[in-house]
Amino acid sequence: MKFHSVKVEEREVLGNYTLLHYRWEGPVDPGQFVMARTAGYPTTLDPFLARPFSFYDYDGEVASLLFEVRGRGTALLDLAPTIEVTAPLGKGFRIEPARGRVALLGGGIGVAPLKILGRYLDAMRVPYDVLLGFADAESAVVAKEFPGARVATMDGSAGTHGTVMDTTDTLRDYGALYACGPNPMLAAVKLAAGEDSLCQLSVEERMGCGNGSCNGCVVPVHGGGYIRSCVEGPVFPAEVLAW
Amino acid sequence: MREQTTGVDLAVELCGLTLETPLMPASGTLSREALGEVEGVYGAMLPKTTTPAARAGNPPPRVAETPAGMVNSIGLQNPGVERFLRDLDAYDVGVPVLVSVAGDTVADFRRLCERLSGDERISAIELNLSCPNVECGGQVFCAGPASVEEVVAASRAAVPGKPILAKLTNEGVVENARAAESAGADGLTIMNTLPALTVDARARKVLVRGGLSGPAIKPIALRAVYDVSNVVDVPVVGSGGVTSGTDVAEFMLAGATAVQVGTASFVRDPQEILHEFTTYLKENDLNAAELTGALHST
Repeated sequence: MKFHSVKVEEREVLGNYTLLHYRWEGPVDPGQFVMARTAGYPTTLDPFLARPFSFYDYDGEVASLLFEVRGRGTALLDLAPTIEVTAPLGKGFRIEPARGRVALLGGGIGVAPLKILGRYLDAMRVPYDVLLGFADAESAVVAKEFPGARVATMDGSAGTHGTVMDTTDTLRDYGALYACGPNPMLAAVKLAAGEDSLCQLSVEERMGCGNGSCNGCVVPVHGGGYIRSCVEGPVFPAEVLAW
Repeated sequence: MREQTTGVDLAVELCGLTLETPLMPASGTLSREALGEVEGVYGAMLPKTTTPAARAGNPPPRVAETPAGMVNSIGLQNPGVERFLRDLDAYDVGVPVLVSVAGDTVADFRRLCERLSGDERISAIELNLSCPNVECGGQVFCAGPASVEEVVAASRAAVPGKPILAKLTNEGVVENARAAESAGADGLTIMNTLPALTVDARARKVLVRGGLSGPAIKPIALRAVYDVSNVVDVPVVGSGGVTSGTDVAEFMLAGATAVQVGTASFVRDPQEILHEFTTYLKENDLNAAELTGALHST
């Protein structure tokens, strides 16, 4: 896998999350991701693997990644003046403008790909609502980046008390649902989607390589077996997944 | 052509095959989607292990990071040999194709070898006798010299026209190498991932129980290559933690004729590994084939 060294242009702290910006040239589809790390051989072999992050945003010049510090790899990313990223990877969200108003659902750090998706929907004049669920108010700080978003927190410290599913009872009315978050949330979104609506789910999986080689990041599929979230995903039509 | 552009000869001979570079992917570490990234790097292709029938593989989580390495438990996910052969043309990039096979029984290996025996696209077969993530019929049947010998002999008889390499695990590697050689193996791949475990203490669960790979296992693999190549006459393909061009040289010096790159290709551009290896040869005024086993003759 080829990595490119990029300078971190800006780093923003958004509650529990960090948003970092770097310059990038080339096409990026909403829902695509990069493998990112602070350094590799010969500088360091520990951490060894890069980590997958969805593009949070990209305006044609500056790309941004949103992450939460969970371990050593993300702690180092939180500090580094330069990072190493791959080119955009994977398959992103399918947009069908004729479907009318759509809903964007994010759970925790799963909010990440919704910003760039919103940018594309705006450009295509597709109306949308943003529905976000977080553990607590500190994680929910990022919601301010989504004006008009409906917010829920598990501990009730901000917005509606509950999960993202508690922010609405009209999911069936949307022409399409786009969701990213933990698997139980995605399963709930799939269940709540209208039969004829487009339901696109971005999964969060542990990855080894990011280019389809290691078969480490698989998800179970309808009909049996597994497929790779790095190449066939990370965005899947809900009906493909065996949840 | 490469010789002219770099000024050093990267080619090696392996079991009668000419490899333009001594590098090849370790099985299960290079997807079709990633082939474009490795153009010109590998002297042979080696797709993911195939088995008689399709295998869904193990449920996730399948990978966990460890210091300078990773533990995987993929479980030989693959579409089965028939589908494998229909898709094999994707790996035809103008270099010999080695095919890695695995089964639960001696009969599985024999049948796979028979099936591949007449396929002109396949230059050699690697017997995966050591995947730590697959229990062979509830037992690790390929664990000792007796079963290694049995599998290699059956495979040897089933595919008379192609070289076969036995891929061995580290445990008992010298005895198993001798057994494989005496049963007719034309070469040995030393070694596979090492049995390992990662634990999620917070959830109080096993995270991944599988095979450790990456730079963490390199010294162990080097030792295995060194010891085995000292006692067998057949060529050894080194595998285990190769991460840089210097690592390639180290494995060849220790006795390897060719070297597999696996996990490192997830975190590095394999082009850089070949470039470093070429630079090493230039700086030392050596050709690749001159390295093999140099440590044994001193």
